[in-house]
Amino acid sequence: MILLRLISWPYARKHLLRCLLTTAGIVLGVGVFVGMRTANKSVLAAFNQTIDRIAGAAQLQITAGDAGFDEDVLDKVRELPEVRAAAPVIEATVGTGQNNLLILGVDMLGDRSIRSYDLEGNDDAIDDPLVFLAQPDSLMVTKKFADEHGLAVNSKLPMRTMQGDQVFTVRGIMKPGGLASAFGGDLAIMDIYAAQKMFGRGRKFDRIDIALEEGTRLEDATAKLQALLGSGFQVEPPSSRGQQFESTSRMYALASNITSVFALFIGMFIIYNTFAIAVTERRAEIGILRALGATRGQIRTLFLTESAIAGLAGTCVGVLFGIVMARAMSGYIGGMLTEIYGVAQSPGDLTLDPWLIGTAMAMGLVTSLVAAVLPARGAARVDPVKALQKGGFQSLGEGENRARRRWAMAFGIASVAAFAFNRFGIMTYIGYVLAILAAVLLSPALSFWLSRALRPLLAGLLPVEGALAADSLIQAPRRTSGTIAALMLSLALVISLGGLARSSYDSLAEWMRIALNPDFFVTTAETLSSRSFVFPASLADGLRAIEGVAEVQPVRSVRVMVKNAPIMVIAIDVGLVAKRVHLPPVEGNSDEMYRLTAEEKGVVVSANFARLHDAHMGEVLEIPAPAGILRLPIVGVVDDFSDQQGTLLLNRDLFIRYWHDDSVNVFRVYVTPGADAAQVRQRILQAFGGQQRLFVLTNREVRDFITKLTDQWFGLTNVQTAVAVLVAILGIVNALTVSITDRRRELGVLQAVGGLRNQIRHTIWMEAIAIGAIGVLLGLALGAVQLFYSIEIARRDLVGISISYAYPFQTALILIPVILGSALLAALGPAESAVRGSLIEALEYE
Amino acid sequence: MLNLIGGLDRPSQGEVELDGQPLSKLSDDELTRVRRDKIGFIFQFFNLLPTLSCLENVSLPLHLRGWPRKKVEERARELLDTVKLGNRVDHLPDELSGGERQRVAIARALSVYPPILLADEPTGNLDTQTGAEILKLIHDLHDRLGATVLVVTHDKTVANSCPRTIQLLDGRVFADTRRPEISREEVTR
Repeated sequence: MILLRLISWPYARKHLLRCLLTTAGIVLGVGVFVGMRTANKSVLAAFNQTIDRIAGAAQLQITAGDAGFDEDVLDKVRELPEVRAAAPVIEATVGTGQNNLLILGVDMLGDRSIRSYDLEGNDDAIDDPLVFLAQPDSLMVTKKFADEHGLAVNSKLPMRTMQGDQVFTVRGIMKPGGLASAFGGDLAIMDIYAAQKMFGRGRKFDRIDIALEEGTRLEDATAKLQALLGSGFQVEPPSSRGQQFESTSRMYALASNITSVFALFIGMFIIYNTFAIAVTERRAEIGILRALGATRGQIRTLFLTESAIAGLAGTCVGVLFGIVMARAMSGYIGGMLTEIYGVAQSPGDLTLDPWLIGTAMAMGLVTSLVAAVLPARGAARVDPVKALQKGGFQSLGEGENRARRRWAMAFGIASVAAFAFNRFGIMTYIGYVLAILAAVLLSPALSFWLSRALRPLLAGLLPVEGALAADSLIQAPRRTSGTIAALMLSLALVISLGGLARSSYDSLAEWMRIALNPDFFVTTAETLSSRSFVFPASLADGLRAIEGVAEVQPVRSVRVMVKNAPIMVIAIDVGLVAKRVHLPPVEGNSDEMYRLTAEEKGVVVSANFARLHDAHMGEVLEIPAPAGILRLPIVGVVDDFSDQQGTLLLNRDLFIRYWHDDSVNVFRVYVTPGADAAQVRQRILQAFGGQQRLFVLTNREVRDFITKLTDQWFGLTNVQTAVAVLVAILGIVNALTVSITDRRRELGVLQAVGGLRNQIRHTIWMEAIAIGAIGVLLGLALGAVQLFYSIEIARRDLVGISISYAYPFQTALILIPVILGSALLAALGPAESAVRGSLIEALEYE
Repeated sequence: MLNLIGGLDRPSQGEVELDGQPLSKLSDDELTRVRRDKIGFIFQFFNLLPTLSCLENVSLPLHLRGWPRKKVEERARELLDTVKLGNRVDHLPDELSGGERQRVAIARALSVYPPILLADEPTGNLDTQTGAEILKLIHDLHDRLGATVLVVTHDKTVANSCPRTIQLLDGRVFADTRRPEISREEVTR
């Protein structure tokens, strides 16, 4: 402790800026980790809270995918003696301009045994449910929703339903808390039969909520209900509904983990660099301590303790930064998932997980300690006699360099070998880590060679300033190699994310070109993803009768649990669609697979389903449906971007038989050649727009919508990119600050012999630009390797879709001026401190 | 004192005038230009840039003035020949002896043949023999180039070799001795 106070503290105080910059890497790494995870957890917690509050006293819920099931299931369930109460539910979201409104259709006569409605003022609507039922336009809203929309009891609320525009009347306002706080308070209750009409559900329920008789064991009731209804139904506690949501947010968690690890890895380099420099700078001090009797162990402990303190400080600030970040991110993720699934929401409060905070603290601390191990060992090995002699010790020993190159070579070869065996999942990750390690170990040698190669160029630009800048890099690789490695890693991350985005857009564009070729999409919502409302099948004939319409293809898409994951089943008239759409097969024969699917002898699955759920050609899938388990072999695998969890393509007639559901989500409409598309669209809207909720989206609008969704997915990568670049800039500032301290005398001499302030500035700027240029060069090269692994990991474990390799040259071209400009920006402060320092002190500096 | 005369530092009291120009009134860049055009520095610890060769070290002030490359190289070689280091132009300072490093520093100080040469303990870091050689070189240059040479030293041998010696004690002038008749033999003895 005494050494810390006498030796470390004065040094830290003298180099306060450097200390702050050093911990910045840890702050960012821990911040991103805590921020992204907390945002994910908070959105998930809010979702679970909504489920929990809506479930009320329900202990079990019966579902059959999101297609729903026939009303008669309710009677069967109610006959079981274990069931105390069974309440049917229709649950759907509608847009209200600002937020989504969750509408719960319930049977007012029996629902109070499951859910309690606490209304403000008079409770007529609840006390006498018949009042509510007798008026099918009745609606109960929460106090929050009423206040936000200026509603009171008997206020009118217009909504677009499947039966055209309808005006609903507010008959009750729920007090805050309990059920009224579900979905962030954006909740409305209506009669279930009114909801069936509003959403076009026919005589179907989405779900039955069940309360059991006292003393009934949950397992027993589940088994009995399952036996009663058959395996096409899911009988589960309400809490299991979070599964679908969790599987989506898992991708964010994984992506954010990679960024956090990278930020920490980069932070580790910055800390290593700073400590390595500190050991060099403090050699005399270490020598004196050793001469005075300090043991090697004491010196090592001193440096490790300094690192632990820096790590702890950085981690604490990082946790706080993460919490601030989580607030911003949770709204973003919540909003995006609402758009995709229509059920997520922005959390009001953040869910802070002590375990997560503990893990983050440990990560920050361990990173900091690991980074300081080598410099601390170096400090402990300092020879007191040599340390007290004057001279520079910045250069790496040739032995050290050779050892690094050998290790890099070994890792590089092992990485290539791992690539050869990359059909085993784990080998991809091993190969990836080895490739990164090889690059990191090779970076000092590469930096040195590139600095030498840059010297003539820089000296050619400005003879003195350029030569000095390049020499500074050549002579002190220890000072800059860590920064260059950090910059290289950051840029490699940016390139791989950019490349992944570009490759994804390319693959997506190709899929849209083939699969989304109708002229129009007739939908129930402004977006393709909303599945709250459905059309009756009969609308198909109406559409076909419109002048100028050549063909109409009804599409029904429902989420069904297959292989324990919520998979999208797409039911179409395969024979009809296959004439116009032929997705190139990943496995199987194109004609054959569509023929077998049309004949109801098989199912075509998406490549992401096959990869993520380990499904293969010929495998018989068990697809649960209200009419029982549908068993079909996989007859083909195609690249299909319709859903992140994967899709199954079924023939529509087969779906209708098994799900007892002929409703339609989307009609794909082809216009007769030569017909005026705009006029056809107008005719459709005139014929049906007034009668029901109906939107006619053009091909361009649908493609734009899908591209926008993809943009939102990759929007998160912008945060990662910003973090990476920021860490790199901090690294450059750090390296330059140290460089100027090291070169005080050199810069002083330059001024003494006639160097103007601007010339000194130019030297520092050129050094910064040279660091940036070398980092960019290495980063762009490593990015090419990392992109390969990113695509592999995304294909295998994240989205499962084959994405072709496409190097993001545009991103690379943007990065060059951004990083060089940032490097220049990072050099401004250090350059000013260089020219403003005392010339006398600089010249006497030893 | 050399720092004040050389424009590296500013006086807290009093004024330093160079060619009638008060240095304290000049901006930082104007002071730099004065140093660049009128003053050459020779330091006790040479202050050569370790990463630059002899030729590059000597070229430094000329490049800073923006001279054309060819002219810079010609002048730097000429100066290194003057200090008898024409055969070591590409050597780095680390590869030279103490005396040779000081010669390079002198060549750098002379790069534009400044009217004033300030030497701070020019022999303080050298052995006696080498110190004498450097001193002779400084005198030779003084004779040949006609520059004013101001040497600060604690070494009486060095002080006695100069035609005028101003002794300072506790910051005040203690003695001012002129010896215009001093011979070259005395310098090198």
